Amino acid sequence: MSGAKRRIRDKKMRNQPSSVTYSSAELDTRRDESCWHNGQGQRYEQSPQTRGRGPPPSGSTLGGQHDGWVRGCHGRAPQELPRFITASTFAMARAAEVQSMLKAVAKTTGSCHVFGALPKHMRRRAMSHNVKRLPRRLREGAQRMLEKSRQAGQKDKKDQPKSKSRKARRRHSNLLLEFNRRQRKNVWLETHIWHAKRFHMVKQWGYCLGDRPTYKCYRACHRAMGSSCLLQDLSYYCCLELMGPEGQLLGALSKLASKETGPTFAAAMCLSGRRQGSAVLYRADGYPTEPLGPVLFLWRPRSEGSTDRQLWIWAHPSLKQELLLELQSVCQCSQPVALPTLVTIASSSMEADPVVMPKGSAEEPPAGRKRKKMGRESDQTVPAKKIVGDGTRSPAAPTSWRSDSTGIVIGDLTMELVRYRLIGPLSHGVLADALTPASDCDGPSKTKPSFFWWPEHCKEESNMVLHQQQAHVFQQLRGLHSTAEVPSGCVLGLTVDDPRLTMPNGGKPLARIQRQQGGDGSSAEEAAQRLLMLQGVPEPCCQSSLWDRCVRDSVAHNKISEQELNRMKSELLVPGSRLQPTPLQGRVPILLMQQPGKQTGGEMVSWGVGWDLLLPKGWGMAFWVPLVYQGVRVGGLREALKHSQNKGAPHFPHDYPDCPTGAQFLQEQAAELCEKYKRRPPAKRPNYIKYGCLAPFLCPWQQLCEEWEVIVKEEDPTRTQPDPGAAAQEVTSQARFSVLRNRKVLQQLSAWCRPTSSRGQRLRQPAQLEQLTATSVESLSRAHCSCLVWVRISLLRRGHPVLHAMICAPTPEDLALLGSDPTCCGPLEPRHTDHFKSRVKRCKKGGSSGESAHKLEEGAEPGPAPSLTPGLWPDPLPSVTSHCSRVTLGWATQGDFSLTAGCGEALAFVSLTGLLHTLLQQPPNQRGVVLLRNPASLQYRFAKLTVEV
Amino acid sequence: MSESCGAVSLSQSQSLPGVAGGSAMDMDPVEFTLRKRLPRKLPRRRNDVYVNMKTDFRAQLARCQKLLDSAGPGPREICIHGLGLAISRAINIALQLQACSQGALQLAANTSTVELVDDLEPEDPDEGETLTRTRNNSAIHIKVFYPQ
Repeated sequence: MSGAKRRIRDKKMRNQPSSVTYSSAELDTRRDESCWHNGQGQRYEQSPQTRGRGPPPSGSTLGGQHDGWVRGCHGRAPQELPRFITASTFAMARAAEVQSMLKAVAKTTGSCHVFGALPKHMRRRAMSHNVKRLPRRLREGAQRMLEKSRQAGQKDKKDQPKSKSRKARRRHSNLLLEFNRRQRKNVWLETHIWHAKRFHMVKQWGYCLGDRPTYKCYRACHRAMGSSCLLQDLSYYCCLELMGPEGQLLGALSKLASKETGPTFAAAMCLSGRRQGSAVLYRADGYPTEPLGPVLFLWRPRSEGSTDRQLWIWAHPSLKQELLLELQSVCQCSQPVALPTLVTIASSSMEADPVVMPKGSAEEPPAGRKRKKMGRESDQTVPAKKIVGDGTRSPAAPTSWRSDSTGIVIGDLTMELVRYRLIGPLSHGVLADALTPASDCDGPSKTKPSFFWWPEHCKEESNMVLHQQQAHVFQQLRGLHSTAEVPSGCVLGLTVDDPRLTMPNGGKPLARIQRQQGGDGSSAEEAAQRLLMLQGVPEPCCQSSLWDRCVRDSVAHNKISEQELNRMKSELLVPGSRLQPTPLQGRVPILLMQQPGKQTGGEMVSWGVGWDLLLPKGWGMAFWVPLVYQGVRVGGLREALKHSQNKGAPHFPHDYPDCPTGAQFLQEQAAELCEKYKRRPPAKRPNYIKYGCLAPFLCPWQQLCEEWEVIVKEEDPTRTQPDPGAAAQEVTSQARFSVLRNRKVLQQLSAWCRPTSSRGQRLRQPAQLEQLTATSVESLSRAHCSCLVWVRISLLRRGHPVLHAMICAPTPEDLALLGSDPTCCGPLEPRHTDHFKSRVKRCKKGGSSGESAHKLEEGAEPGPAPSLTPGLWPDPLPSVTSHCSRVTLGWATQGDFSLTAGCGEALAFVSLTGLLHTLLQQPPNQRGVVLLRNPASLQYRFAKLTVEV
Repeated sequence: MSESCGAVSLSQSQSLPGVAGGSAMDMDPVEFTLRKRLPRKLPRRRNDVYVNMKTDFRAQLARCQKLLDSAGPGPREICIHGLGLAISRAINIALQLQACSQGALQLAANTSTVELVDDLEPEDPDEGETLTRTRNNSAIHIKVFYPQ
């Protein structure tokens, strides 16, 4: 029998009851030789179901012959029709078939619920809860099912351990224990409970972080960033502290950063402590191939009579471990040290915030914990708090390392400081309204020795002068119109009163801030403001007591509890007025750092400018609530991503594919996306093979770079001359890809990407920039092989780019089309054929063309290979550049409709070689035009490529 | 507002970098990167229009017309501001408005000087501090109103 015939037979037999047999080819052939009845008998023996029912009904002349479904055409003359039928034997012979048929009909498909028997159009909502929604004939069964499930549910509940009553659970000590238990794996920030009530929380990098608010505020948050103020908790950023002689520190750190990428640790304006700096760090002497990631840093201003400097480096938590190891090796610090014993400050027996305290105790050095326990012997009822790590290290790990040779001490200040970020042009007004500079100490308390840091601090005359200067600068902030008016990155140290003492009462705070601005105008004030705008904060004002560990600890331990504060407030004569006199422990040192907004490119300059606020630990909520009461919006991780996207700055784990942490993040993201993709049925998800998209989840950057090298080499045979220098280049070109961060080269690229007819070109094409020629291109690409360039893509017409959209080089015809037809959207990619679909099918069918039934079983068993997902390319990818009709240059790492620009915008990486190659071939007035295509679309869109420095 | 921002970024690009204000120093273009800050924001009423060179001319004209036609409290007048390169456009818009009204509108123009701040960032960051420089640019403020 041929394969096709067998298939048809299989299909027919698929839904037949087991008693029904069907003559097969073997039987047919055998039947030709032997007696017909004999073959029938054999068949009876094969089916066990009928065997049990007694002897075969061969007594009848006819029943036996027609038992089973015999096809008429066997090449033999058809049997004559019987003359008579005995009803009883006829029925008996078919009893088994009828029975199995009835059984098959009665069986419901799918779930075991009664209403599974109903056709779809008769099913109703909530049928499983309300029996009366079923037709009457089914109600009885449904009732039974319902009761059964109820009983099962009750049994389950009984099995569970009896939980404590709500009252017991909410008791303070139990609540704390519960909170500790819940943050064993992922540590909470101080504002966690506030966020958890309002945000979608994610567990990332060892922390519980708010991703986005639960209410609809995507556009509102964007508006807040552009015109008012958005608040964000950045306390999960890790702070590393370096202390040591300035020369030693600079010498060690110079290995980590390169001047070519921009300001480093040694930049004069950062070194004085007046500016906050940012840099991309590399492994020791690893520039430019081994990047680690971006950091923010801040030097403590020099203090008189000391050569030791203090430096804080802020890094992303996923980056911290590697950075710490690198710093340790660079500074030769490997000796863990116990921290210097703290200045003993008697702590009051006040309880700190329930959320804050467990972390506080976790962070403390052993000495500090001991001291604190002694200090609060009075309240022994407080349950022993579990030590919790900080999400990036285990609790037992040392937090400080010292080097004997260089004298550098590295400290890990993770979770020691709270960092809030205010984004928006009104953030200075929000700060000025929410915070008040610390009030002076009264006469009598000045002379007495005090337990708290502020009265001691006040005793020094110089400290007070400095404080008044700082307070004056802070007052001037109120007069500014926009946060962008102060120089970018400037730092202001300050001591403020406990912001809980005064809460704004009523009114729309942000509107009030807007009205107040620039209202007062005495000439002296204006002159001071002008000085602030031009020169920034004077150097001594950048000093803050926040740098001192003992002050930080004292402030953290002596915080007035919320309960105590409320009691004091309730005793006020006028409700809602400020608490007078200010309690002695209510002074907090803080640091304010301006965060420059959009600095690259010519449009929307200083969009998203703001201030960063640094606080000692434990004071998070005390500052958070007053800030929120000022009417700011609060954002999470999503808003941070959008902020950097609109600002045109790379966002850390997403846009650093060459850093180990960035690569790991992208891997995880790819796995997540793939998982999500596979959850949909193949017919309901895009078939990426047909769209010609090779890697919709993880971009093969390495392959892209290598392929472009090959393409350029093939097109330009002069490059492959036998030359020892070139041979050396060949070797290095196989190295890992890296992202180009050399500012000089980027500036040159940026000039080349601009079309010559644009206005900026005239000004910015001074003589020192090379013209775009084949030789200059070749020298550049030879110097920076296997490099990716971070570019900004803005769509010229329609289109909404998404993650991993392809950036392609347009053909000359496309460019002509763009020039001639103003309404055309772009070329179309011809649909690709999915060769793997047939392979998947073949695998499913297995060896259907096999000869024997045995082989058939075998073929069906293995099925498709596990890596073969329908709709995705299996692993060894073909050439990524030339797979589609347009040559691929790179992929977008972020893409969205930009509310700032009013068109689709994407941030992408393209191959440097490919970009230069494309630019060379484009006509000068259309330079920088590329095509962008989404992974699940065949439509190419015209877009403009810019390199922003 | 985006209007005022755009006007400035364009008009600034027209002004010559050699005109130094506060700190009298000669800028060597090799050693410094010029970054222009936005001009000081001014309080903005409903009938203030900041003109820029980026938005379509007709759209800005239509916007002014709409503001004039809308019956709001107080006198029907608008203020058109232009800075630098956008001065000519501001004048253009005001004259167009007047021509369209068949002489019913009157204009009152004022000029002023706006101080702008530039940051000069050294190319070699280890060398020197960021410098700031002030320069002046002209601005025009045209009041367009219906006489009483």
